[in-house]
Amino acid sequence: MRTIMRRALTPLAVILLAACGGEEKAAGDATAETQPSDRTLAATLQNADGYGALGAAVRNAGLTSVLDGVGPYTVFAPADAAFTAAGTGDFTDPSLRAQSAALLRAHIVPGALTRRDIAAAIERDADGSVQMRSMANTLLTFTRDGEAITVASESGARARLTGAENVATNGVLQPVDALLVRPDAS
Amino acid sequence: MNKIIPAAAALIVALSAPQIALAQDHGRGHGGDHAKDDHGGGRQAARNEDRGPDRSGGGGNGRGRGHDDNGARGRGGEARAVIAPVARVEARVAERRNDDRRRDDHRREDRGPVRIEREVVRTVDRRDDRSPITVFRIEPDRGLVTGCPPGLAKKGNGCLPPGQARQIARARYDYLWARRNTDEQYRYDDGYLYRVDRGGSVMGWLPVLGGALAPGAVWPTQYSYQPVPQYYTSYYGLNDPYDYRYANGALYGVDPRTQAITQVVALLTGQPINVGQQMPAGYDVYNVPYAYRDQYVDTADSWYRYNDGYVYQVDPTTQLVQAAIQLLT
Repeated sequence: MRTIMRRALTPLAVILLAACGGEEKAAGDATAETQPSDRTLAATLQNADGYGALGAAVRNAGLTSVLDGVGPYTVFAPADAAFTAAGTGDFTDPSLRAQSAALLRAHIVPGALTRRDIAAAIERDADGSVQMRSMANTLLTFTRDGEAITVASESGARARLTGAENVATNGVLQPVDALLVRPDAS
Repeated sequence: MNKIIPAAAALIVALSAPQIALAQDHGRGHGGDHAKDDHGGGRQAARNEDRGPDRSGGGGNGRGRGHDDNGARGRGGEARAVIAPVARVEARVAERRNDDRRRDDHRREDRGPVRIEREVVRTVDRRDDRSPITVFRIEPDRGLVTGCPPGLAKKGNGCLPPGQARQIARARYDYLWARRNTDEQYRYDDGYLYRVDRGGSVMGWLPVLGGALAPGAVWPTQYSYQPVPQYYTSYYGLNDPYDYRYANGALYGVDPRTQAITQVVALLTGQPINVGQQMPAGYDVYNVPYAYRDQYVDTADSWYRYNDGYVYQVDPTTQLVQAAIQLLT
């Protein structure tokens, strides 16, 4: 393992931790072992403060059953502020159900990825860059940026893994500080 | 019990019987099993033949010939090693009615001929489960149906007057389906995704998750799917009387009486991962489900990666897939 990150809980992490009941040891700490909670991804998201926009998109897309199901998945979860910053509009609009689904697929990968797993893979890779395939059939690329882990999509969108991850019964919720799609990418 | 199906040997499903008409079965063509290593052409051609009468009035609908703008894109080269079968290989040739589809066919006996498959399976260390591993395959071109979508007349080389095509092009959220490194553009409108060329003509279409393929919607009659094999019904615990269908990266429950979509069961990558072949790009990080992490730990000799209900054992040096492991307890 390369660098031991500072164990400084951000306010967001505190909120998320309290809301979700997870047993994270440290926000953003790529070396910490995270213990799973007894909630599904859907329940975790529903109870997480600051992730209402993402939760609404899940419901609007009709994918609550997926995140309540067997999985497992890792959801890279943009906070509400990330939706606002991206100016993506309101994904609670019933006319945007397909768009909500497409958005979510770009943020979900198969299996359970903890931050520790991602950091270990980056450390192991000679180029310090590793990839995971999303449910939108695109590649997400993970690298280090100082002590942070960043994720970039094929569209050029970039985000940092931030806050505290939540290991659910059927996957992992990984907070990110930006959307993994780019409105100007078309 | 976890079922380890073959190690270090090629899984090859030889062929199916695409010529069997399934047209009356809502125009569906059935996809193949995991080891069927075509890359779009053969299977999609079969679907063209399978497709039922064009009810759209547009004419010429059928599966598009895809180009894969994302699938199996390797980093550092496109080489895909295929290892030769090793010793201790047990070969089995079987012509049978596909067990995975037997349950599905039973519920739809009135829908026409049953597909017969011929399989060649090579395995080592097979345990008590003798069924081949089966995973879904995402269509290289997203499963676009070539030709005109329902309700649109074919005009010249396209389906719509240029003006109308440009009207589709103005959708605000098209970026959500954008692909890089391709001249093709995708436009969303009213439940369907359209591929348009630079001239604005519609070249293909498909219903999308959350749009025409949303809970409550009736399954589009011209849109093909793969029935769900037995392993997935077990893995996902699908024990109710619905039909389960796979299409374009998602698993749907469908009411067999009304054809209405009842729920979205799962999202799947649809990545073809074959034992004996190189692991595709996009599985660099250890992602084994928590419940199985004690059993499948990365070592110097083997890595383990999860995808679509299976854990794959991978040689860290060669990146060759050594085994596919079913996760049933």
